[in-house]
Amino acid sequence: MRTRLLVLMGATALGVARLALGGEADTERLFRDQVAPVLEARCLHCHNDDTAKGKLSLSRREAAERGGEEGPAIVKGKPEESSLLDKISGDRPEMPRGEKPLSKTEVAAIRSWIAGGAIWPSNRILTDRRFAGEDWWAFRALTPTTVPIPRRSGWARTPIDSFILAKLEERKLEPSPEADRRVLIRRLSFDLLGLPPSPAEIDAFVGDANPLAYEHLVDRLLASPHYGERWGRHWLDVVHYGDTHGYDKDKRRDHAWPYRDYVVNAWNEDLSYDQFIREQLAGDVLWPGSARGIIATGFIAAGPWDFVGNVELREGTVDKNKTRLLDRDDMVSSTMGTFTSLTVHCARCHDHKFDPIPQVEYYRLQAVFAGVDRGDRERPSPEIEARRRALEARRDQSLGRLARLNKAASASTTPELARVDLALAGLRARRREFPAATGPIVSRTNGYHSAIHPDPDHTAWVELDLGAAYPIDEIRLVPARPTDFADTPGFGFPPRYRVEVSEEPGMTRAAKVAEESRPDPPLLGDDPRVIRPGGRPGRYVRVTATRLWNRLDDDILALAEIEVISGGVNRARGARVSALDSIEAGRWGRESVVDGHDSRRPRPDEGDLGARAFHELLFRIQELEIVRSELVERHLGPSHRREREVAQAELDGALAELKALPLGEPVYGVRPIAPRPINVLRRGDVEQPGQPVGPGALSCVMGSKSRFPDSADEGRRRADLADWIASPENVLTWRSIANRIWHYHFGRGLVDTPNDFGRNGGQPSHPELLDWLAAQVRDHGGSLKSLHRVIVTSAVYRQRSSGDPVKGAIDGDNRLLWRQNRRRLDAESLRDGVLATSGTLNRLMGGPGYELFSFKDDHSPVYDHADPAHVDYPRARRRSVYRFVVRGVPNPFMEALDCADPNLNTPVRSQTLTALQALALYNDLFVARLAQEFARRLEQCPGNDRERVVAAFRATLGREPTPAEAAALAAYAARHGLANACRLLWNTNEFNFID
Amino acid sequence: MTKNGIRSHDLGPSRRAFLASTGGGFGALALSHMLGLEALGGQVAPRADWPRGGLHHPARATRVVQLFMSGAASQCDTFDYKPALIQKNGQKFDPGGKVELFQSEPGAVMRSPWRFRQYGECGRWISDLVPHLATCVDEIAFLPAMVSRSNVHGPATFMQATGFVLPGYPSVGAWVSYGLGSLNNELPTFVALPDSRGFAPNGPANWGAGFLPAAHQGTMVRPGAKSPIFDLFPPDEARLTAKAQADGLDLLNHMNRDYSLGREDDSRLAARIASYELAAKLQLSAPEVLDLSSESAAVKRLYGLDQPITEDFGRNCLIARRLLERGVRFVQVWSGADNGFPRRNWDSHEDIARDHGEMGARMDRPAAALIKDLKSRGLLDDTIVIWTTEFGRMPCSQGSRGRDHNPFTFTSWLAGGGIKGGVTHGESDEWSYKAARNVTTCYDLHATVLHLLGVDHTRLTYRHNGIDRRLTDVHGEVIKAIMA
Repeated sequence: MRTRLLVLMGATALGVARLALGGEADTERLFRDQVAPVLEARCLHCHNDDTAKGKLSLSRREAAERGGEEGPAIVKGKPEESSLLDKISGDRPEMPRGEKPLSKTEVAAIRSWIAGGAIWPSNRILTDRRFAGEDWWAFRALTPTTVPIPRRSGWARTPIDSFILAKLEERKLEPSPEADRRVLIRRLSFDLLGLPPSPAEIDAFVGDANPLAYEHLVDRLLASPHYGERWGRHWLDVVHYGDTHGYDKDKRRDHAWPYRDYVVNAWNEDLSYDQFIREQLAGDVLWPGSARGIIATGFIAAGPWDFVGNVELREGTVDKNKTRLLDRDDMVSSTMGTFTSLTVHCARCHDHKFDPIPQVEYYRLQAVFAGVDRGDRERPSPEIEARRRALEARRDQSLGRLARLNKAASASTTPELARVDLALAGLRARRREFPAATGPIVSRTNGYHSAIHPDPDHTAWVELDLGAAYPIDEIRLVPARPTDFADTPGFGFPPRYRVEVSEEPGMTRAAKVAEESRPDPPLLGDDPRVIRPGGRPGRYVRVTATRLWNRLDDDILALAEIEVISGGVNRARGARVSALDSIEAGRWGRESVVDGHDSRRPRPDEGDLGARAFHELLFRIQELEIVRSELVERHLGPSHRREREVAQAELDGALAELKALPLGEPVYGVRPIAPRPINVLRRGDVEQPGQPVGPGALSCVMGSKSRFPDSADEGRRRADLADWIASPENVLTWRSIANRIWHYHFGRGLVDTPNDFGRNGGQPSHPELLDWLAAQVRDHGGSLKSLHRVIVTSAVYRQRSSGDPVKGAIDGDNRLLWRQNRRRLDAESLRDGVLATSGTLNRLMGGPGYELFSFKDDHSPVYDHADPAHVDYPRARRRSVYRFVVRGVPNPFMEALDCADPNLNTPVRSQTLTALQALALYNDLFVARLAQEFARRLEQCPGNDRERVVAAFRATLGREPTPAEAAALAAYAARHGLANACRLLWNTNEFNFID
Repeated sequence: MTKNGIRSHDLGPSRRAFLASTGGGFGALALSHMLGLEALGGQVAPRADWPRGGLHHPARATRVVQLFMSGAASQCDTFDYKPALIQKNGQKFDPGGKVELFQSEPGAVMRSPWRFRQYGECGRWISDLVPHLATCVDEIAFLPAMVSRSNVHGPATFMQATGFVLPGYPSVGAWVSYGLGSLNNELPTFVALPDSRGFAPNGPANWGAGFLPAAHQGTMVRPGAKSPIFDLFPPDEARLTAKAQADGLDLLNHMNRDYSLGREDDSRLAARIASYELAAKLQLSAPEVLDLSSESAAVKRLYGLDQPITEDFGRNCLIARRLLERGVRFVQVWSGADNGFPRRNWDSHEDIARDHGEMGARMDRPAAALIKDLKSRGLLDDTIVIWTTEFGRMPCSQGSRGRDHNPFTFTSWLAGGGIKGGVTHGESDEWSYKAARNVTTCYDLHATVLHLLGVDHTRLTYRHNGIDRRLTDVHGEVIKAIMA
């Protein structure tokens, strides 16, 4: 009450408000209760540390007082000088831009608070709480649900039924009776397998007297390998899988199919859903060397890919950057849409308009994929995998033994060593007193970078020609700290190397002035290595790496700067630089190793006393470390020495064998590279880069931390995202998959926008049920087969699909599920159904896709689906999930039947009824051929025309024809051939719909 | 039209029942299903007080034909005359700033191999590469300051065809079909006629429906092919006699009607029955529209059917006119196939005189014929003709005779329904290197076309993946300056 009173007074007269303020405590309370909430709800969205529009952040007090482009936002005690107040008040307040102005009360509160001294506790950091007041269902914790108890008893078979029935009763609706067994087996069979039941299966089920006949049928179907083909196909829709790249020059992607097979198998195995997530996002990282882990990353690479932009466009051009931005966008939006049902891609150009997703977080997600290229990668065979595992165990064993031996050696103490250690500790303490360099990055170059080598024992050197011989007092090797690579201390600095000087070119009669060959050299971090050759004259100075620095999967030598000091002058400045090999691109180039800058800032002047002391100190530390190493070595016993040699030999052996392992077969997936730098892009424009960002996920989702370590190891970033998504606390993940499964069982999700749970998407029709289902999956080992079982054994699922005018008037589109939904066969089920009912389906699983087109490779390849030789042939009579899917030139038959467009994530297929569909089903060569085949098979059976027609009826529609139907079809068959009669059956509504 | 009222997958039986009760019974409903009109809630019928229809305001035009020059047609060799290129021919190309090309380092300034002359009352300079189109300048509104967001064929072609550089978005024709529906009940609403030598970059995705219901996708018609429309007739080996066909459809109808008993509430069943009737109509009307024997010799000559070089594109342009005449709303005609060698599209990196020479000769006479023919039949008044390409070409040379890609300026033009003839909107710089004044984009062009069709481009939306998608994304200004 008191605060409220103050505010009202503030609104009337400033002076009064000032008087009325009891003091700092009141102003602080005013800030806490009135001012901070308004700033967080209305201002922080644009004016935070990340975005800081107009260079103004209102996150913390100092930032607000410092202000932005328009001066200090807040001047203590002076409302009239505070630009904040100026912006939000007046007849037409300028801020919040494009939104409704702050209320008078809110403005008055801010005025009073500033007038009262703008007390803002320094530990109070404001954040964007634009959406804080709103409580959106998708982000809420899963409600611990009690299953409702409906009035009507005896109907519910599962908790699902209780949820549904309770809602129906609220609306005075009755559920529909159970469908008959013929309908149920056809429904279940298409739903779980994507195939029709055979007449024998129908008869067996209809005649099964066991009260658990239905449950047994469900178990049998869930155990069928065809289940994975059916549900794997659903997943391939969602992840926009295809067998070509798409875009211009729609090139083949011949090694994509192992991912498709992986998906089919994963569903058949009932892989736990969290494992399914981890494998697809980071299988190669979490299970290194395993073929399965590599294949599963086909998920990230599944979508379209611009060959021209990614391959043919020149490096460094604007369009190259655009291509990469959009390529990562595809990965980000597919990942987040698939697993969390959010539309993060809406935040590429600006903060998400509807959901609490700031633009910066979108770019953090881009940073997760910053080290991902798509392409073929080797996957080992099972034999190679086993061999690799054994060798890795041997390697790790010898590494462990070596580490133990080294540790034991350096831990050994002698009075001498103790003295050295004491001295070192003192020096290192002094080292810590030197502050790290700060200030803006002004260096335009990183330094020297060798070519990238596949193994660390490759030679690399870089050499300076000082122009004349000088007596050399000191050589400094400054480690690189590239700005376009995650900050990694000692980047590129070789663990073993030697430094030589010579007066003659070509290192003839060179003198070695330093050599690093210790088994376990101390790490330099970002400190330069200081070498003192003692005035030895030299014109040429060469640094040779005898072992390269390991960068992810490859090995390099890099240095920011080499300095050669003679008589207090750096003679290396502007020296001529040569190298065995060198990367001359972007911020790298051999000349920049003598440009007077390290990777970030200018090197200190030689006259700088502080720098001189610093280098003196570094030299003393490094020398003493060498002394220490030598002492340790000298005290080593012969057995220790021998043991070390043995371990080293074993290690070398294991490494050599590992290197010699064959790589295996190619598979299309992610190809890890060093992460590219990611910046927030203003308006999503690559030509307007803003602040650089590291990897992360979304802060609006409760649970694990949404900022990830800025790891140079790109795989770590993906593993972090996989952990974040697969976490039990991530409510979106579990709701998303539960809803997807429901969607495919009923033709519509409880949320009817399976890829959008945001404010622009749908709301759940049965929120408690959705949470109950989500918890079922999460808390029961992530098993999706268990979820299927509980759904399809429910009374809701088993209802008839027939309509009812009375109920229809209450709930016309059956949101409340007073009946089952009648569904049209999807393209694959239709094609597979034609194959199965005609008796020609080849049930072979897996392997490269069969091609329903003739192919001609060219500058732009040609896929001709009209070529009759490819429309139907024996190997193509396999299930449609194994079809080679061309992105640019869709198969016209499947397209006419609304198959998924592999250019898009397709969580829901569109359903159309068109003349072109009728033409395809009636006239297509595939249908005509299969009808002939069907008729041929029928004719091989004994019996007359009528009996054959009855058999065709049973095979296609799963029932006996009425006498009139049989007579009419038999008459047609007699007049126009049995094949044409079969073709008609496939064209009937009864075949095309599932009751 | 409410925001969510156009989400087709939301349509349940109640909505259908509503339509059935207001849309004039089962037949009309089934038809609207098939034409993909249901989504708009039956608003597609032209309003009585709007003679040419329209969704948000009275339309000026009802039909569109889009001529797409695939491979990037050079603006400075056709419609964008720059004397500086003649004066500075062979000199260093130095427009200031960094010149970043697709494949090459910039060569010297290169004049066009074709001479430019002035034409028409408007006096526009047109090159000798397109002498027939030159005679139509007083019908045409030129946009010589078009810019593209990509200089790669695939994404840039998508941009002109769908408004987005990514795959998966609906083509302009699909949007028009979705917004306005069909003008006839025996031919498709949107037809695409690819170059007879093959597909342009992105293939049929250029006339796809993207996330819109598939009923709105362009139907590909290949006049020269054995089966000009996919599965229009059964294959030879399963050819049906007329009797077998009629008996079959009869029996099918019978069985389908039986199945409908007790399922009357599900209008999809009736729609499927009707789809077979419509298919039968298409089997009659499609061969008729593709049969040019009834066209006079003069008309055939006008389109260049008597010359091998113009025969292909000429036939497609003539068929386009026949389709438009019979109520097809949107026809897309492609000049240019894939990026192969020898060049069979406008992508003349190696030799502009040789390769543009051929493409120009193939396209010029038929395109001009289409304008003249539409005009003489009184169809040009309410038919919009769009001539476009994915981007332009550089005023400097690549190699010694070719030109590299130029996304910074290129020329599109419009003619016909509601368009002011003989005008030019926008201007490129003195080199024809960058758009300099009144810059336009595909968003503006698409917004203008929709506007002339009676559609507000900001209000024609479809909810997909959490976004109310528009043909024009968040951009687009109607170009008033070129409207009559």
